[in-house]
Formats: sequence, structure tokens, C-alpha cells
Amino acid sequence: MELTATQQDALTELINIGYARAAAALSDLTGHRISLEVPEVAIHVISEIKTRLLRVIKDEVASVNQVFSGPINGNAILLLDREAALLLNNLLTDRDQAQGKLDGAAREVITEVGNILLNACLGAFGNLLKVQVTFTVPYLQVDNVDKVLRSITVQGSELEYALIIHTRFHMRASNVSGYLVIILGVTSLKTLLEELRKWEERELR
Amino acid sequence: MGRARASLTTENMPKPPSNCEATRETALLSWIQQFAPYGVVTLDESFRVQGWNDWMEIHSGMRRQEVAGINLFTLFPDIHQRNLAGNFERALKGEASVLSTALHRYLLPFRSPFPEGVSAHMLQTARIAPLFSEEKVCGVIVVIEDVTQRESQAEALERQHRRDQLVSWALAHLLKTEQPRKAIRQLFFKIAEQLDFDTFFVYLRDVETGQLNLEAVGGVPVESDKEFLACPFLNQLSGGSSDVFVLNSVQQLQTPEYEAFNKVGIRAAVGFSLVANERNLGLLCFASCSRDTIATEESDLLATIAQFLATALDRESANGQLHKAKEALSEHARLLEQKVQERTARLRDTISELETFSYTIAHDLRAPARGISGFCEVLLEDFRETLPREAGLMVEKIARAGGRMESLTRDLLAFSKISRQEIVLAPTQIEPVIEEISALRVPAIRQAIRVRAPMCPVRAHRGLLQHALSNLIDNAVKFVEPGAPPKITIGTEPVSHGSPGNRSRSLTFSSHTPLVSEASTSAPAGEELPGYIRIWVRDEGIGIPREAHQKIFGIFERGITSDGYEGTGIGLAIVARAMQRMGGTYGVESEPGKGSQFWLELPAA
Repeated sequence: MELTATQQDALTELINIGYARAAAALSDLTGHRISLEVPEVAIHVISEIKTRLLRVIKDEVASVNQVFSGPINGNAILLLDREAALLLNNLLTDRDQAQGKLDGAAREVITEVGNILLNACLGAFGNLLKVQVTFTVPYLQVDNVDKVLRSITVQGSELEYALIIHTRFHMRASNVSGYLVIILGVTSLKTLLEELRKWEERELR
Repeated sequence: MGRARASLTTENMPKPPSNCEATRETALLSWIQQFAPYGVVTLDESFRVQGWNDWMEIHSGMRRQEVAGINLFTLFPDIHQRNLAGNFERALKGEASVLSTALHRYLLPFRSPFPEGVSAHMLQTARIAPLFSEEKVCGVIVVIEDVTQRESQAEALERQHRRDQLVSWALAHLLKTEQPRKAIRQLFFKIAEQLDFDTFFVYLRDVETGQLNLEAVGGVPVESDKEFLACPFLNQLSGGSSDVFVLNSVQQLQTPEYEAFNKVGIRAAVGFSLVANERNLGLLCFASCSRDTIATEESDLLATIAQFLATALDRESANGQLHKAKEALSEHARLLEQKVQERTARLRDTISELETFSYTIAHDLRAPARGISGFCEVLLEDFRETLPREAGLMVEKIARAGGRMESLTRDLLAFSKISRQEIVLAPTQIEPVIEEISALRVPAIRQAIRVRAPMCPVRAHRGLLQHALSNLIDNAVKFVEPGAPPKITIGTEPVSHGSPGNRSRSLTFSSHTPLVSEASTSAPAGEELPGYIRIWVRDEGIGIPREAHQKIFGIFERGITSDGYEGTGIGLAIVARAMQRMGGTYGVESEPGKGSQFWLELPAA
């Protein structure tokens, strides 16, 4: 399934709204100016995403995982490779994690950042749909991409789609790149796209 | 934590549903909440406290009854001040959030379980999530985890890691550098910075005077140096009475000795004597202007670094001494070489002068000696009849003395010539040389000479060899019992010697550099040495006592047994000098009454 240019634009804009909130929250939190950018949004059937993600993320990833439910439901995951996770932690906490390990404190920081990002993004969807989307408490998993995806996709049985949002953090002259993956059932995706169309119409009016 | 249900209860919570399964679940949740090693707080939609578990009672110091129904933000106003209320408000909209320690330190300001640790507050990780009742959000649940211990351990680990790195760095630096003294400043600035010290100073002992001199200082004015040295603390270290000295709470010491420290604001200091190989090389001190105590682990770490420094300094000084000794030795060798050269040159000049002198004397004496002999002969032949008998006898004596003087001058001249002559060694057959010698002798002597053929050729200067052999043959002819016929046997044999150094080179004195020098006669180790040929001349004459064997080769030396035999005492000296010039050796084996065997050794051709 491919998004039309219009859908893609609308989706990007919507996500940007959410990201603006997340960036503001992160800037407040750290006292550094942080901006978030969405260079690319794409949609794929779930069977394809592993291959696609493996192209950009190798080895271990730190994944922040949150389940959301409501009129649309699914799984939202922030994926950062090890270096990105370490750099993000160092930039946010002013620490230099010299040993190259994600210790307990660093894992929590990544979880909180993922939480802020996922909440902002899904909150924007909720606002759009004028419904309440509720979330579980996020959890962090450090593993290879394959295992991370497997632990998520076993849950749903209906045909699922994954919205892959390439995400870039800018802060203190550094860039950290990651991927936000939102896995939705076909019904939820249809609802989302439909609501997106209506939202655009309203906006244009 | 999944979706928290409103049915999670404590005594303040709403009543649980009546069905059995729900009751069991409720009981379980209630139990977990009660005894969980976490703080669990539930709030209603207006953030009023509903649930407050045991953990919360213990750590907040507030009983459940005291807080029930009170707004959490009233209990902890700093939640608002720290911009954390948003998380609670969003929870009411269904959002769950995580607050990490690294970014927030804590959610609720509780006292740290380790007050001496990293933080005065308990470090917390918090999760704030909506509570649902029949799919509707009805409140907020907060779960607080105490991570103080984890963070303390992580920080201790991190600190240890950095210190290990610092020690390795210092060690590598001190090992690598040739001149640790030059590295001190850079090294200790970094160490002081890393370990949060404001000041360091290093005193090194002057090797000659034993005085302590300031080598490097950081963080305080250099002028403080003399006053520091008066501090009893430094005295003890420099006197070697202690290796480590920690001085805490300096500002509280009212003693005037520490006035110098007080003046520059030092509050705590730690010092080490730099000892290597039982020598006190100086002292190293770190001080802080912001802390009153220095931890044992810090002083242990610095003690290690001080030991590294002492070892490096000791090595530097040992290297320096070695270098000096080497220089002195090579200078001494150079001077010695120069002296030897000068003396050799002087000696050569002297010898050359002496030889010229003896040559001149010998040469100039010949004519007057011949004159004397000549005129004596004229006197005896032409005027014998007219001379009184006494006078005739005197003239005869004068004639004999003149003849002797003539032979002396002739032999001396020959000796001089041999010493001065340029010679070139070449393969030489010995038989023709002997034939030539015997051809000039009377038939009786000719017949007395036996040659053991075949004879091995040698590398020699033919003229010198002939001269030497001729003198040996003449001696063999001369030194026989009166009336006994001479018997002379000449032969050769190859000889093998371990090395030229073992050979009986009996004369080591030469006015000229021998053409065959030591270097060219000695072969490199492992190679076959060039063979030598011994030429021997045996007689059955009167023999020579052992004690005279060496002496007879000296100039003007004659054997004790040679009394009554004519001679100048130069013949064997000529043999010796000739052999010396050719790089050969010579000697004699003899006993009185048993004849003599003279030998010459020369390289085989």
C-alpha cells in the first residue's frame, strides 16, 4: 500500500504538530534547544518492515514500546541504534557515558524521550480523531531489530500496516537519527486516513 | 504495569466488584501494592490522594490517614514548580509517562536512604498513568522506584573507571617520557583537575645539597613555596618519617605553622614523600580549597601516582648518572688514546734519533778504526826490524784493538741498517739462502753444515733471513770446545700455535712498525690460522745456560760461556731485530755442554 502525495503531506503535517509538542517538552526538560524533524513518512505492510528497517538499522537497537488503544489501536515503537541511543543520552544529560554501555539511568532517559515522542505523536492522532487514545506505560527493550519486531507483531492477527516515520533530533550541533514505527490494524489505518482527509478539508476551508 | 484498574484498592479505595475472579485479582493487586518495593499512590480526578502504600508511609513519613483526600500538589508543591504537573494532567487524558532519574532526579522530595551518597534526595524513577473504570479514566496512579543505590553504584563505578583511566594515563605518560621532571606540570594539572583538587606542588631534592626545591606548582602563587616548607606536614614528609600525610579541616587548625596554607585558602591537603630505592627524592602534595576532607580512596590513588613519579624520577636520575659515567669514560679513553699516541710519537722520534746517532757513530768510527788498523799493519810490516820488541808487541795490540773496533762498527752498522731498512715479505726458499751462506765459508765449515731436506718455504725478506741464518751458523761454528770440529744441522718444521698471542714472541720492542702487524697475522676467530714454519739451527757446541737464553738476544750481550770467544755481542741482536722486522719469532733451547738449538719462526709461504 502506498500513500498518495496528499496523504503523505497531511500525515507529515500532523506528525509535525505532535513533534512540535515533543520538542518543546524536551527543550524544557533539558534546557537545551531541541528540534525534531520528519524527513520521511512511509507506510508498509508489516511483513515488509523488517527488511526495510534492517537496511537502515543494523545490530542492536534500543526500542521504546507503547501500546495504544481506543478508536484506533496498535503499537508504537521508537527505534534507535546503539550509537544514537548513547549520543542522545549524553546530549540530554550532559554526561559522557564513557564505557559505551546503556546503563539503568540511560535506559530510563531513552524510555522517557520515547514516551514523550510517542505520546505527542499519538496524542496528535487522538486530537485529530476527537477521541481519547489511551496508552500503556512504555517499556524499553534492547535487542536486534528482528526480535523487537517479533515481540510486537505476534499480538495482532488481522492484516497490519506499519507507519514508518524517520525522525531526526537536532540539538547542541548534533543530529540523532531514529525511526518511529506505528503498527496499525487495517481498520485503524482506514479510520486514520479517512479522518486525515476530513481534517485537511476542514483546514483548507 | 498494564492498564491500571480503578479496582486497585487499599482501605481508602472503592469497594471491589463482587464476582469471585475480580475479588482474587483485587486481593492480589492489593497485596502487591502493599508490600511492593515501590511507592504506589493513586489519585482521583482532582489529584486527591486515594491510595498510599506502606512504602509511601515509610519514605514520606506521612501516614495514609494524614494524606487521604489531600491534593498531591498541596502535599508536594514543588511538583508544580518543577513543571511536572503536566504529566498528571495528561494522565487524565489517557497518557502514561515515565520520568527518568537522569532528567528529573526525583518526583517526590524524599530523604535519601544514603545521605552521604550522590544526592540529598532519594533518586527516583516514576511512572504516571491513567486509572480506568469501565473504559473511562477515573484517576491517576503513580509508581515510584527508589534508584538511589543503583545510581550511587553506577556513579562509583564511573568514578572508579575514570580514576583507573587517570592512573593508566599517568603511568603510561611517566613510563614513556625520558624526562619525567619536564612532564610533571602537565601531568599534575590534569590529575588535579580530574580529582577536583585546586592546588598541587612538587618539591624535589637536590642530589648534591640535599635541599628541597620547588619543581612545579599549580593553583597557588609560586611565592607561597618557602612558607609551605615550614609546615610541619611537609617537614615530616621530607624528613622521611612518613610516606603519606593527610591533613583535613586545615582552616580549623589555629597553629601558626599552617598559616601558609590558611593564607591561600587550603582546606584539606594530602602529601606523599617520593621514595625510590630507599632514597627520599622529594615530595608531592595535592590540596583542596573547597573540601575539608580527603577520602581514603583519593589518597590511595594519589599514593600510586606518587610512587609512579618517584620511580620515574629515580630512573631519570639513574639514566643521567649512567650517561655522565659513559661520557666520562669515553673522555678518559680519548685522553688516554691521545697520550699513547703522543708518547708513541715521541718514542719513535727518540728511537729514530738514536738509530741515526748509532748509525752515524758506527759509520764515522769505521774510517778512523780502519786507519788505526792500516797504520799498525804498515808499522809492523815496514818497521818491525827497527822497532824495539816491546813497541812491536804494543803495535800488535793496537792492531788487534783496531780490528775489533772495525768489526764492532761493521756489526753496529749492520744492526742499524736492519732497523732502518724498508722490507717487503715474499715467499722465500731456504735452501738457496743456506747455500749462499756456506759458499762464502771455508770448506771445513761448508762440510760441517747438514741440511735436513726438504725445507718448507717461508714468507720473509731474503736479505734479512740470510743475515739472521748466517749469524746463527757463524755462532755455531764459533762456540765449540777448543779444537772440536763444528757440527751444524739445519732443518724446518711446521708449527701450530693456538693464537699468535700464545707464541713466544720474546721481543716486543721495535723502532718501526713491523710490516707484518699483529692485526694482519691474527686471523678472525673460527678461521684456520696461517701456518708457521720453524727453522732450526742445531749445533753440538758448548751450550748456553738457561738463565742466559733471553739475555743473549740483547745488543752487546754475550753468554757467560762465551768468554775467550771473539765476538761483538751484536750477532744475535741482529737476528732478533731481523725477525722482529719480518713479524717472526725466535728463541733458543740449550744446555751447557749439550749444544744449542736456535730457532726462527716465520709464516709459511
